[in-house]
Amino acid sequence: MLKYTTKWSAMLVALALIAGGMQFAVAADKPFASKKIVLQISDPNPFKQTLVLNVANNIIKEYGVDNVAVEIVAFGPGLRLLFEDNANSGRIQGLASSGVQFYACSNTVNNMAKKLGHKPALNKNATSQGPGVVRIVKLVTEDGYTLVKP
Amino acid sequence: MKMAMKKVALAMACAGGMAATMQVEAANWTMLQGTEPTSAAGRMKMWGFIETNYKIDDSDKNKYVGTPGNNYEYVPPKLLQPDLESQKGFSAFRARIGARGQGMPLDGKVNYFILAEYANNGITHGGGSSVKMTDASITLNQIKGARIRMGAFKVPTFEEGYQAIHVFDYIEFTQVANQLMLERYPNKVYTENRNNEVGFAYTDGNSESRFNRFDQPVGAFRDVGLQVFDMFKQKDWEHTYAFMIGNGNGVNFNDNDENLDRYFYWSSEKVFAGKGPFRQGLKMFAWHQAGKRTLQNPAVPFPAGAGADPEPAGETEYDRTRSGLGVKYNRKGIRFTAEYLKGEGMIFLGPDNPTFTITAPGAIAAPGEARPLLADGREGESDGWYIEGGYQIPKTKWEVDARYDVYNRLTDAKKLAGPCAFEFTFKTITLGAQYHINRKTRLTMNVMDRDFNSGECPSPAAGGNPNNNLHTVGKRYGIQLRHIF
Repeated sequence: MLKYTTKWSAMLVALALIAGGMQFAVAADKPFASKKIVLQISDPNPFKQTLVLNVANNIIKEYGVDNVAVEIVAFGPGLRLLFEDNANSGRIQGLASSGVQFYACSNTVNNMAKKLGHKPALNKNATSQGPGVVRIVKLVTEDGYTLVKP
Repeated sequence: MKMAMKKVALAMACAGGMAATMQVEAANWTMLQGTEPTSAAGRMKMWGFIETNYKIDDSDKNKYVGTPGNNYEYVPPKLLQPDLESQKGFSAFRARIGARGQGMPLDGKVNYFILAEYANNGITHGGGSSVKMTDASITLNQIKGARIRMGAFKVPTFEEGYQAIHVFDYIEFTQVANQLMLERYPNKVYTENRNNEVGFAYTDGNSESRFNRFDQPVGAFRDVGLQVFDMFKQKDWEHTYAFMIGNGNGVNFNDNDENLDRYFYWSSEKVFAGKGPFRQGLKMFAWHQAGKRTLQNPAVPFPAGAGADPEPAGETEYDRTRSGLGVKYNRKGIRFTAEYLKGEGMIFLGPDNPTFTITAPGAIAAPGEARPLLADGREGESDGWYIEGGYQIPKTKWEVDARYDVYNRLTDAKKLAGPCAFEFTFKTITLGAQYHINRKTRLTMNVMDRDFNSGECPSPAAGGNPNNNLHTVGKRYGIQLRHIF
């Protein structure tokens, strides 16, 4: 009985981990990452979009793809970086291929939807599971990330 | 950990520095000037540039002054624009401030562009304004493959005029750009070709003896209208088209007649690297524009016989067409451009006033009365071409440039009446050097060696010989400081 219970428990835990990992696959994608960095973009200045992407790229170059986990969290006016039609979408795709995660603040998405009359179409590499600030707090306090705001 | 943080900080600093100097604009003049990076532009980006220069014109005076047809010691090609009063001096030649962006950043499909000229040049000189708006347009990007731009802006045209002037590699335009393409609009009333003749009463009521009898700004390669355009990518190639209709009245912002100008443009470019105005690529392009202009002919035509004007008196419409093609190559510090341009109708023959005919000297009975017609640009033809190249000397801030341009004015002159064949040829060799103080500031030095000629004409002819003036046009030296902000 104990044997079966343990097996089911292990399977449930594994499923939960897979489900969580599908959204935030940092640990799964970067099992050897010794550095974890979350980059915040919340500024309306379009120069900051280029800057945050440059910083992510340089971090990857500096530490190596497998040695660092990078997540860009966008909220407020900075969410435009993760719009589907953003002029930097090619660079976002390139960084996503290197394992960089992109997170879109759900509160900002909802507020922008009110102004636009429809939800903004987001980059397919972006996930949106809740508020951006909450995501940053979780990454920093629970997952050992360092927050950098370029 | 400390070491790691230092590296992150270093990487960030590098990224910041790189981004600060990168060109973030679109990829070609049509896209660069008409669009913004989607969802990556601000509500308003203020920008502008200043060009200030010092020039010396080394031309000699016309030694035949006093004989018929030789009224001026110094004609406009020997004098500095736009004032045409001296042969050397400092000038704040261009000073433009503008703004561009997306008024509602959440909707990246609408953008605007506004720009004004504050300095002393052909845009602000004619018409007496000290500040002139040159651009004010809105672009709608909702339809894929057919973006729409409406307002005042640069028309899709030849490379020298289409490119942003603040990346231009020379101080002065080629002669074909200056005379054939930089349009001088007809004055609202007929202006006699007799400037600087003391005491003569002009039709426009101004008896002041001076050059510069223009009552409107130059065209500045701009028009007010509506343009449909877009760019298509095919691997490393970019294909761009533009079709535009406009008032055909430059930066005067009104439609002075019921005719619209039509503009067509196509370019195909193999992109090697980079982006923005200094992108490396091989671009081929062709363009055409057509419209009509209304010109005030003399109210009292010259009587029948030799020199009689076959055209109607007073307000008359003339066709104006311009077309051309060219190629531009820019890669690893080496630049090469070649363009050919052709024009029919409204060939400007001034350049001291907006005249499109050459008439014989001599007394007339009353202002507005014509004199014998010697050459006619109203329905005339001209063409021109230029080649130019530049080389950025590796590991230095220096660049050297060279240009050779030719303008053949009134190639059909022999068909017209008069004692002389008034076909003009303007050849200029320009040698230049540029010192890039930084990416936004550069010093440009030019020497222009000009060889101007008219067709066969007795010298000194009773009807005046343009070569008396043209052969004394000499070298011109210039040094210009430009800063973009």
